[in-house]
Amino acid sequence: MKEKRDIFSMITIMIALLVILFIGSAICAIIIGGFPNLLDAFSSKEIRFAFGLSISTSCISTIVVMVLALPTAYALTRTNMPLKKAAGVIIELTLSLPFILLGLSLLILFSTNAGKMLKDIGFKVIFSPIGIIMAHILVNLPYAIRLIRTAMEEVDVRLEFIAQSLGASKFKSFLTILLPMCKHSLISTTILTWSRALGEFGATLMLVGITRFKTETLPGSIYLSISTGNNSMAMATATIMLIISAVTIAVSNYINHSKQLNRGDR
Amino acid sequence: MQGDIKIENFSVTRGKFRLKNINLKIKSGEIFAVLGRTGAGKTVLLESIIGMYAGKTGQILINGKMVEGIAIVDRKIGFVYQDYQLFPHMKVYDNITYGLKMHKKSKKEQSEQAENLMQLLGISYIKDQYPCTLSGGECQRVALARTLALNPSILLLDEPFSALDPATKQKMYQEILNIHEKFHCTIVFVTHDFKEAQLLSNRVGILLNGELKTIVNSNELLTSSYEQDVEEFLGRK
Repeated sequence: MKEKRDIFSMITIMIALLVILFIGSAICAIIIGGFPNLLDAFSSKEIRFAFGLSISTSCISTIVVMVLALPTAYALTRTNMPLKKAAGVIIELTLSLPFILLGLSLLILFSTNAGKMLKDIGFKVIFSPIGIIMAHILVNLPYAIRLIRTAMEEVDVRLEFIAQSLGASKFKSFLTILLPMCKHSLISTTILTWSRALGEFGATLMLVGITRFKTETLPGSIYLSISTGNNSMAMATATIMLIISAVTIAVSNYINHSKQLNRGDR
Repeated sequence: MQGDIKIENFSVTRGKFRLKNINLKIKSGEIFAVLGRTGAGKTVLLESIIGMYAGKTGQILINGKMVEGIAIVDRKIGFVYQDYQLFPHMKVYDNITYGLKMHKKSKKEQSEQAENLMQLLGISYIKDQYPCTLSGGECQRVALARTLALNPSILLLDEPFSALDPATKQKMYQEILNIHEKFHCTIVFVTHDFKEAQLLSNRVGILLNGELKTIVNSNELLTSSYEQDVEEFLGRK
């Protein structure tokens, strides 16, 4: 019995090592190609603009996504909203669509008369940084809702019922019971949403294009560098994105770990 | 403090299970045991009393008012689940004072009330611990303290002793009787243990397959004669 379990463990370790080798080699290729040009990339005004635009748009879109995803996931898991199943299907349908198609759908939507009216009142989406945020939101919202919904489904509704029987309103029980119990998932969802927004390219390309010093994000910058044959700069830009990802993961792990230690989780 | 419960022709469906046409009156201050097999609908009955489910037919009245018509906070019903349902992200003290906080009681009141209850139930030594570090008996005492902090007129206990070892069980029997004497609340508890039902309650209702088959005084539980299915449940046929 023991021997069989050991063989099983060995197989899983072998597979895990293969996976790490596969992913790690891609990361190594980026670092090896990009590291020598990292200083050039940092000193480039264009890259710095793309960096700033990527960070700001992904931060804004992540806040909007989380603000919209939280109540939506709550409604889908905790209320008797009409057509709940259909709503769930509609939200998740876009998960399997290519991002470029989602960008195209937004382009069509904001090219209608309603979209033009929005432009007239100052809400310009196409070929503007607002479009980048809109693309991020459409790409990430179903994903965030799915993750938060799963986290909320794992929390026993009886806990909130007990809280309400002790005098909490539904909103208070949401704030004091459900949210803290989903805390780790919410932190992970926020980080993942932000990372995905940072790396989003297809929908953004379709909706706002890539215009230097206007709508050029870090992934757009990589695309422009590759299309002009400047692979080393593309790799350097990708290395910057990797550094951002590493810092983000480290921060989120630190937050989760320190909270677990404080709580004495075992 | 009144804690009358009146259940009239109440039926409710939960998935494939149905609680059928329940009629039951529990007087204020009574200890009532709901006895039945696992899956008989005992927990659904308790959850219905607190107003978790709207009935398909019939009604549940608390002090003469339909339970759904009373705001959940004004029902004055405390509920302790079999698995206690303590808030896992809060320390014992915060679990106990949760209801007081929600009722906007002052910090001093919260502290006094919590200290009294923790002393009464002998759990002062775990006030700074999280539920994941507690034993079954400790969890149960914390759940009771959390519920009693609001001085409920009705206390619903879902299989309160099933997860406890025999020694803790004996202690908790006395604990429940002390609580009843001190708080004068109506207590409804569900169990599948005949002796427990006899020992603690004034009356016992036997619930089988979603039907309340009979209600007897607890001292007559094992001497009365019943329909065949109840006799079988009691192990006499």
